[in-house]
Amino acid sequence: MHLPLLSIHDIYVTIRELGWGGAFELLRNGIVLGSLYALIALGYTMVYGILKLLNFAHGDVYMIGAFIGYGVLAALGGPLNPDIGLAPLIILMFLVAMVGAGGLGIAVERFAYKPLRNAPRIAPLISALGVAFFLENSVQLLTNGTRYSYNAFELGGKNGNLGPLFSPVFHVLARPVSVVQVLIVSTALALMLALTLLVSRTRLGKAMRATAFDREAASMMGIDTDRVITSTFFIASVLAGAAGVMFGLYIGETYYFMGFLAGLKAFTAAVVGGIGSIPGAMVGGLLIGVVESFAIGYVGGQWSDIVIFGILILFMLLRPNGLFGSRAIQKV
Amino acid sequence: MKKVLVAAVFAVALSILAATAWGSASAPARVATSLATASVNCGSTRSIGIAYPATGDAASLGVQQFHWANFAVKRWNKSHKGHIKLVQGDTQLPNTAQALAVAHQFASNGKILALTGPAGSQEVQDTDAVYKSGGLAAVSGSATRVALTRTKGSTTRETPKGFFFRTVPTDGQQGDRVAFWIHKKLKKTRIYIIDDEEAYSQGLADQVQADLSKAGLNPSRDHVSQAVSDFSSLITRIPSNTQVVYIPWQLAPKAQIFYQQLRAAGKNAIVFGSDGTFAPGTFEAKGGYVSAFPVDFGSAAVKAYKKGHGGQDEAFGLPTFTSVWVNATAIDRACKAGHGKTTRAKVRQQLGKVKLSASQSLLGFPVKFLTKNFGNYQGAGDMAAPADFAIFHIANNGGYVRVG
Repeated sequence: MHLPLLSIHDIYVTIRELGWGGAFELLRNGIVLGSLYALIALGYTMVYGILKLLNFAHGDVYMIGAFIGYGVLAALGGPLNPDIGLAPLIILMFLVAMVGAGGLGIAVERFAYKPLRNAPRIAPLISALGVAFFLENSVQLLTNGTRYSYNAFELGGKNGNLGPLFSPVFHVLARPVSVVQVLIVSTALALMLALTLLVSRTRLGKAMRATAFDREAASMMGIDTDRVITSTFFIASVLAGAAGVMFGLYIGETYYFMGFLAGLKAFTAAVVGGIGSIPGAMVGGLLIGVVESFAIGYVGGQWSDIVIFGILILFMLLRPNGLFGSRAIQKV
Repeated sequence: MKKVLVAAVFAVALSILAATAWGSASAPARVATSLATASVNCGSTRSIGIAYPATGDAASLGVQQFHWANFAVKRWNKSHKGHIKLVQGDTQLPNTAQALAVAHQFASNGKILALTGPAGSQEVQDTDAVYKSGGLAAVSGSATRVALTRTKGSTTRETPKGFFFRTVPTDGQQGDRVAFWIHKKLKKTRIYIIDDEEAYSQGLADQVQADLSKAGLNPSRDHVSQAVSDFSSLITRIPSNTQVVYIPWQLAPKAQIFYQQLRAAGKNAIVFGSDGTFAPGTFEAKGGYVSAFPVDFGSAAVKAYKKGHGGQDEAFGLPTFTSVWVNATAIDRACKAGHGKTTRAKVRQQLGKVKLSASQSLLGFPVKFLTKNFGNYQGAGDMAAPADFAIFHIANNGGYVRVG
């Protein structure tokens, strides 16, 4: 039996060997990964904020988004010989996946959660778990467990060489930052900004905040809370769908089980950031991504999940409200 | 009073349910044990169970195994009176629960006289007790872990003697071959080894690391879970001047993604895979190498297979052809000796005596099973010399060319 011994000396040696260039690479990798986690975490936090429901099916909406993106890619000629240019292809993949995932989110809310709105809290939680298993196993059945490759590395390239998505945009400490990395971080930031503006500056956003604060009171004030909840699920799922396509473009594959671990880590990010807090989910996602990247880089691949979920436990013990969460005042 | 009555009825119903569940849970085990020695009419068609990953992460390899198994059945049935048919069991490697479910199904299916598979070393570890209870000996075409047949260091032999055979050389032989190739043929000195934390991969990685260390090299060693797809930070750990990255992984699609991410990070190390990544069309690490089962590509049978499968040789599955042929031969002999009747125990006894010529095995060498330890890596149930692994080079068009 292997005992994975954790040696402080080995970690120190690794840090020195990797140097500042390696540290930048790990930071870069962590920010990209964290952007994906942040997008998924936003979905968890938005739904929890409105309904106090942990939507465990959310990771699988992300998985479905990745599959929809792949479907668009396959329908338009596939990665090695697409029918249209790279930029319109990627835009189309995003749009279709986001709308498709959004539609799925609405359907899940309508059929699995809405009937249980007034049931004890455990009921929608169990329903969420059921939806998660249903989606995973349905996709497994349909795909025979096959992994589908976006082949993003060769997408738009020639003769099997690396495509333009992976060509460097600029270098830092001689380490490249590629087109796809910039695309992911900038798209994620743009979506987070759009969400922040939606929540803070629009009528829908105001209604969402009111419903999150007190659903009953909001309803009495004339807010259509059903519509607000449906919109929340739609927006959350749109973000997850976008994250799914980003994953496919960055990592290159999609498969039925990809939502499980990503969903767990995004959930951790939402909790670390303060469940129910939108800025918290963003910061939590980036934090988890960076921590994971540095854990793998400095300590080793087999330690990353232990480190991340160890952080979750620590936060629950020391700061249960998370970084941006607030204490709930209950009237007695 | 009504409440007491309802409670009493409920309690009785629950007891009946529990008793039935207990009875049926232990029934398959009792059935399986009795089937181990039960006499069976051979009939004109005999059943071989094939436990393989038809779906799941390793499906790309499992499908190859099933194609070759089917090919073996067709060829056997053309030339033998006693026909063979396959009973399929999808193990969804690396899904342990599913492998166990298949094991229970096969062990308690009285029609099955022999077993081809399971595919993965960890599946053999998890299911051998169940198959043994049913009297079935596993004949695997791809489980390569040394400890399955041989006590190694502090690890004792992991399968009972007489209940596990394999038509593929061991990790020890594969590890020696790979280390020799990297050190003596490629003449590389800066090597990075990454296992995927499964039994198969760790064993092979340990072997190669030990061999290279003995040769005076100092390979780095790392680990990554099979669940991981983003290798970017792992790749950061690999020094830029690394010459060879050895990845003895079970999942060829993961190996391909790793190779692509390595290249995208600007690192040009040669990627060296193992038989688990031997998947032309899936793992295409240009300029890389793969160690795999040797295949007699020149044989008429292999050419016929390629013709019937779109020009693909799907070589990973070929030892499964050999496994089916071994099982079919053992059943045929046991049935003849029993004048049309046999038992699983008698089929098992015949397994160890089966000898195939090179043209029958399609492996490029004759097959004969050892009955005791031999060399450093082989034990009873392994193929005797000259069974060994081959090395393939991955050309720029992704094709595999045998070079060693």
